[in-house]
Amino acid sequence: MKLNTRINGRDLCLEIKPNATLLETLRQAGFKSVKFGCGEGMCGACAVLVDGKPRTSCITLAGTVEGSEILTVEGMGNPDQPHALQQAFVDAGATQCGYCNPGSLIAAKALLDSNPNPTAEDVKDALDGNLCRCSGYVKRIEAVLSAADSTASTTGQKKSTRGKK
Amino acid sequence: MLKKLTRFYHPKTIEEACQFLGNGEGRTAVIAGGTSAALRADSSLEALVDISHISELNYINKDAAFYRIGACTRVQDIYKSPDLKGPAGKLLQAAAGKIGSTLLRNAITAGGNLAGLFPWSDLPVAYMALDAEVVCRRGRPKRTVPVMSLIETRAPQFLAANEIIAEIIVPAYGPGTGTAFAKLAKTANDYALISLAVRLTLKDGAVNQARIAVNAITAQPVRCLDAEKLLEGKVLTEELTAEAANKAADSLNIRKDIRAGEEYRREVFVVMVRRALNEAFENANRKGGQQ
Amino acid sequence: MAKTTKKTTVKKAATVKPKVSPAISPIPEAPRFFEKPETFNQVSHSLTKVDAMGLACGTQKYVADVDFHNLLHIKVLGSPHPHALIKSIDASEAEKLPGVVAVFTWKDVPRVMRTTAGQGFPEPSPYDNCLLDNKVRFVGDRVAIVAAESPEIAEEACSLIKVQYQVLKAVFDPEKARDKDAPVIHDEKDCRVPIPIFYDPKHNHCSHVETRVGDVKKGFKQADVVLERTYYPHYAQHCAIEPHTCIAYLDENDRLVLRSSTQVPFHARRITAQTLQIPIKKIRVIKPRIGGGFGGKQEVLLEDVCGLVTLKTRRPCIWALTRAEEFMAARTRHPMVVTIQSGVKKDGSITAISMRIISNTGAYGSHALTVLSNCGSKVLPLYRADNIEFIGDTVYTNLPVAGAYRGYGATQAAFAMECQMDEMAEAIGMDPIKFRQLNHIKEGESSPIFKALGEGREGVDMSIGSCGLEKCISEGMKRIDWAKKYGKPGTGVKRRGVGMCCLMQGSSIPEIDMGAVFIKMNEDGSFNLLLGATDLGTGSDTVMAQIAAETLGCRHTDILVYSSDTDMTPFDVGAYASSTTYLSGGAVINCASKVREQIVAVAADMLGEKMQDITIEEGACYGKGRKSSVTFGQICTYAMYEHKQFQIGAIASHISHASPPPFAAHFAEVEVDTETGEVKVLKYVAGVDCGNAINPQLADAQTQGAALNGISYAMTEEFIFSDNGRMLNPNFGNYKIFSTKDMPEIETFLVPTYEKTGPYGAKSVSEISINGALPAIGNAIRNAVGIRLTRPPFTAEKVLAALKEQAKSGKKASSVKAETEKKPEKASKKTPVAAKAEKPVKPAKPAAKKAKASEKKPAKATAAKKKK
Ligand SMILES: Cc1cc2nc3c(=O)[nH]c(=O)nc-3n(C[C@H](O)[C@H](O)[C@H](O)COP(=O)(O)OP(=O)(O)OC[C@H]3O[C@@H](n4cnc5c(N)ncnc54)[C@H](O)[C@@H]3O)c2cc1C
Ligand code: FES
Ligand code: FES
Repeated sequence: MKLNTRINGRDLCLEIKPNATLLETLRQAGFKSVKFGCGEGMCGACAVLVDGKPRTSCITLAGTVEGSEILTVEGMGNPDQPHALQQAFVDAGATQCGYCNPGSLIAAKALLDSNPNPTAEDVKDALDGNLCRCSGYVKRIEAVLSAADSTASTTGQKKSTRGKK
Repeated sequence: MLKKLTRFYHPKTIEEACQFLGNGEGRTAVIAGGTSAALRADSSLEALVDISHISELNYINKDAAFYRIGACTRVQDIYKSPDLKGPAGKLLQAAAGKIGSTLLRNAITAGGNLAGLFPWSDLPVAYMALDAEVVCRRGRPKRTVPVMSLIETRAPQFLAANEIIAEIIVPAYGPGTGTAFAKLAKTANDYALISLAVRLTLKDGAVNQARIAVNAITAQPVRCLDAEKLLEGKVLTEELTAEAANKAADSLNIRKDIRAGEEYRREVFVVMVRRALNEAFENANRKGGQQ
Repeated sequence: MAKTTKKTTVKKAATVKPKVSPAISPIPEAPRFFEKPETFNQVSHSLTKVDAMGLACGTQKYVADVDFHNLLHIKVLGSPHPHALIKSIDASEAEKLPGVVAVFTWKDVPRVMRTTAGQGFPEPSPYDNCLLDNKVRFVGDRVAIVAAESPEIAEEACSLIKVQYQVLKAVFDPEKARDKDAPVIHDEKDCRVPIPIFYDPKHNHCSHVETRVGDVKKGFKQADVVLERTYYPHYAQHCAIEPHTCIAYLDENDRLVLRSSTQVPFHARRITAQTLQIPIKKIRVIKPRIGGGFGGKQEVLLEDVCGLVTLKTRRPCIWALTRAEEFMAARTRHPMVVTIQSGVKKDGSITAISMRIISNTGAYGSHALTVLSNCGSKVLPLYRADNIEFIGDTVYTNLPVAGAYRGYGATQAAFAMECQMDEMAEAIGMDPIKFRQLNHIKEGESSPIFKALGEGREGVDMSIGSCGLEKCISEGMKRIDWAKKYGKPGTGVKRRGVGMCCLMQGSSIPEIDMGAVFIKMNEDGSFNLLLGATDLGTGSDTVMAQIAAETLGCRHTDILVYSSDTDMTPFDVGAYASSTTYLSGGAVINCASKVREQIVAVAADMLGEKMQDITIEEGACYGKGRKSSVTFGQICTYAMYEHKQFQIGAIASHISHASPPPFAAHFAEVEVDTETGEVKVLKYVAGVDCGNAINPQLADAQTQGAALNGISYAMTEEFIFSDNGRMLNPNFGNYKIFSTKDMPEIETFLVPTYEKTGPYGAKSVSEISINGALPAIGNAIRNAVGIRLTRPPFTAEKVLAALKEQAKSGKKASSVKAETEKKPEKASKKTPVAAKAEKPVKPAKPAAKKAKASEKKPAKATAAKKKK
């Protein structure tokens, strides 16, 4: 079966099995940042953006993203030109083993896309599906908040209107 | 996992979707959010009709008296919608927000959560407490049915082969109505041990209509009719809520759950009902209505 | 304690001062202390983790992130029975399935007994399992191996294997495992221990440790109060988000390459060679990026199977555990029954402590002895007591196999001990913090336990060189607002309480663990640092780069770290026992110092100066008075191409002679819903003394991660078993680990001390903070509602049951008072002391409002305050 999608800005036509998951499909197509952690939708290691919404690719049938736009963490930025969130994860020390990072970064990007000025509570809410066993989450929450600040300041938005919880 | 699957259909309209479903080419099913483990484990299905991209199934509208929610609206959109307000809107949001995690809520749909019923499904109890109705479509033709009949019969049996759930209609209610949602679970993204929705609509200070709908502690969503009856026509007192809560618990057929004992869940259920009734009552009495 | 055959020769040699003998031994002498430089340029700074950008951009490669042509997929058929003999096994149907390439049953593989525990050789764990056996001992135990063209085919093939089992009686209760009528789990003739230690498999008795200091009986007589309680720390799984994964292939020279998610590449190589009966030289183990280990990957679980398949089929293969296999067939924390009897005087002195442990190792004895010993050695030295007794037994049961898990016994025993400390304090009416301050070990002090309890042999005598516990306590009290919150539960349906605990761990296994590194210089002034120490997400590559850069006099970004690869990097025991920074960091200093000497020598030659006049700064050497200079790049280029050419580089090792404990004080504030039993952890404060933190940000991150893992373990994580010993919740859907929405406010801080035996003053940090949550939260719940929970996790159901029990026995509470009077030892048995039940609950009154808090704030307080 053919699958037409746009992955990280490139139109691709992939040959897939009808029952393939999006996770398998992406990994086979070389997008190895998308990780397997549980295969049941519970850990978020496999999260990607589907039409701008973060979802677990392990329980998403590839056939359902026909015509959709997919973004993996490779498409967010690279070490040469990292996304503000990727830079913030690095700076805040939010990467430990890093296995959960692609998924968390994807979820964080979706948050900032829809809410450029989140509170800590908003961040916790948006990352609630991305389990991390290394970090205790503290630094990644800091990272997302500081990325929000840095993008807000570069896009000229008012900084730190973030308020009372 | 979906071993026999050979085809995907991607209709753009409801009518098209119903045509694919009714074309009699082997076992065909609707896929919406696609999160249902039962759906993904089905090894008899040959074709899937993906309705998640049909724009006429994806909306939250409000008219004078009702919210209308397209069946393929993601529950995350319900959770985050600025348009949902008041006793009904808040109840829907509370229930939707307690479903799984952000990543799952972005997939799970308002209709899928109802059609593919699990003990832990959270939205159906909210629909039930709100006396929602469901619009089912077979192409053009449609019927509007009480949500309860769909739940009792279960969607696969209730719906014809070429019929889908298209919309959920929820009365908005207003001042004088209060709602509350409560979920008992081990963590925030856990399946419910108890999922509970309550609505109280008051008249002259007394309960005119009471709804107590529950899932997870039971094998399927049910209403606690005895307790509802007990409350109706009365002014809420501490004794009354306690009695109603006990009555509600007595009516339950508690399912086995490896995660917690039956007696414990019953006991906490009583507490939760009592608290939810009080909360709903407070909301109903709020000046300007529940916001 | 029995000793191993290995003699502690190193130690003896050390006492003989190297004389001015002209013939210097080629066997290096590991330094006992490291020099402290006047300033730090690279260490003690939160420099960027060397692999961070690659991780954040998804370019770093984990085991499964490489493509192989012709890759086979492995599935292992797991046993449905907890205890059974395989009467017959027929794989012919499976073999016929298209796409199946090979099936192996016990008949097809050599029977070599070994342990899967990735420990030093000879291992202190029994050789009680082999590649495949004709007996299964827990649900999920290996029955057969299938290799096929796809995972689906392999899975289907598993279901086609016909096995006839003779089901045997099983035993699940560790307290009954040694009973006369208990089934013998290891009745095979060839199970044994490779070192001369106790081992009695005929009675399911896997290991035994016994140590006595003084006379506890006498101690109990001296006490005003004697308390005895039993605690039941429970099963848990590591839940590294990356499941165990291994890829095997044959290289150009027909050698077996194992690309594996392992914490112990060198042990994995050795144990795989042993199991497959091939020479070590035929195997290369590569450890790429690892997605977390926490001890779970200190186990050789996949390499032998993958090696077998690749050797037999000559094709590359992959085996990645599913989450369910991870829970059921990988390793777990040893659940234990810990009984503490302790005597205390009214003045707060502890007269005696007796700790008795039954540890459940499940079907196989991975780390059985050492986890058990650690219960004593990492917990008992924390408090002064003249009379101490430690008696531990590990038993086999037909349950999932335990192994190494962050904390490694200390988690379990600290739970018991720190709850007991609160109980003792309450019994004598003393503030629990004051009671601890009165008794905890301090700088310069020693404990007889250090020598008495080692890992598989006698320990090493040592005294505490650095201890920041006092500051951890005083600063933590402030941050949790102890004085205001302790003993003020409130009166509503929801009650609040605070609790705390003190902790210690170790840093490496002294005179057993060894780490080695190799450094070579490149002509742009960068260095390759090749080391066996295994970064599995901990950040050790970065820490090593910082230590190397500090020693060499350059930036950590000029150090190219590669870990680990048994062909390319020198030996290291691997990432365990809180050893990497402390031990392998020492090897880095030893090695970098040698390289630095070479650099100075070449620079002196180039500049025409004396070596002692050369100074190094930021990658350049300066002559006397800084009048002339050459860069590292020039130096290396010169050495390579111009004069007396040679490769600037060195190799060096390190072993430690001590295992200095890091210390910590943890604090928890909870809210208990007295109607539903739900407990919410509101705030968690963890203060740690890890010596001089090489990278404070990474040390802080270790603390936060360990703390939350501990909290999650304390609150929800549990194995639910069927009557048949099958785990019923082997998935993240039902085994709940905390997410962002469950976490409390977490605040961590470091209390810097300087440990002279460690590299640049460092001690370990990674394990200690997982131990605090169970006791701190347990004590906080006690403070809030007066119940003592001894069977974690503290689920709402258990809390509510205990509250009801308390209400029922409300009357008894007053009679308990009498218990605080001196009683004969026996009478104290099983008598709950001071179980209070009046409403509002009245916890022990907070004595000593301000424990002489030293006012100076710890310098490296990288608090994780949330923005609000
Ligand atoms: C890890 C995990 C955790 C979860 N936790 C929760 C939770 O806490 N609370 C909760 O409520 N839910 C939870 N769910 C979701 C729940 O289990 C179901 O998967 C979900 O409700 C199904 O909705 P869907 O839109 O994905 O439907 P699908 O999976 O697409 O479909 C489900 C069934 O309904 C049918 N169907 C779907 N839409 C229609 C329609 N419009 N008309 C007719 N038939 C239709 C399909 O044919 C299928 O049989 C969780 C799911 C996962 C994977
Ligand atoms: S792998 Fe997809 S959620 Fe865990
Ligand atoms: S960094 Fe290791 S799981 Fe998150």
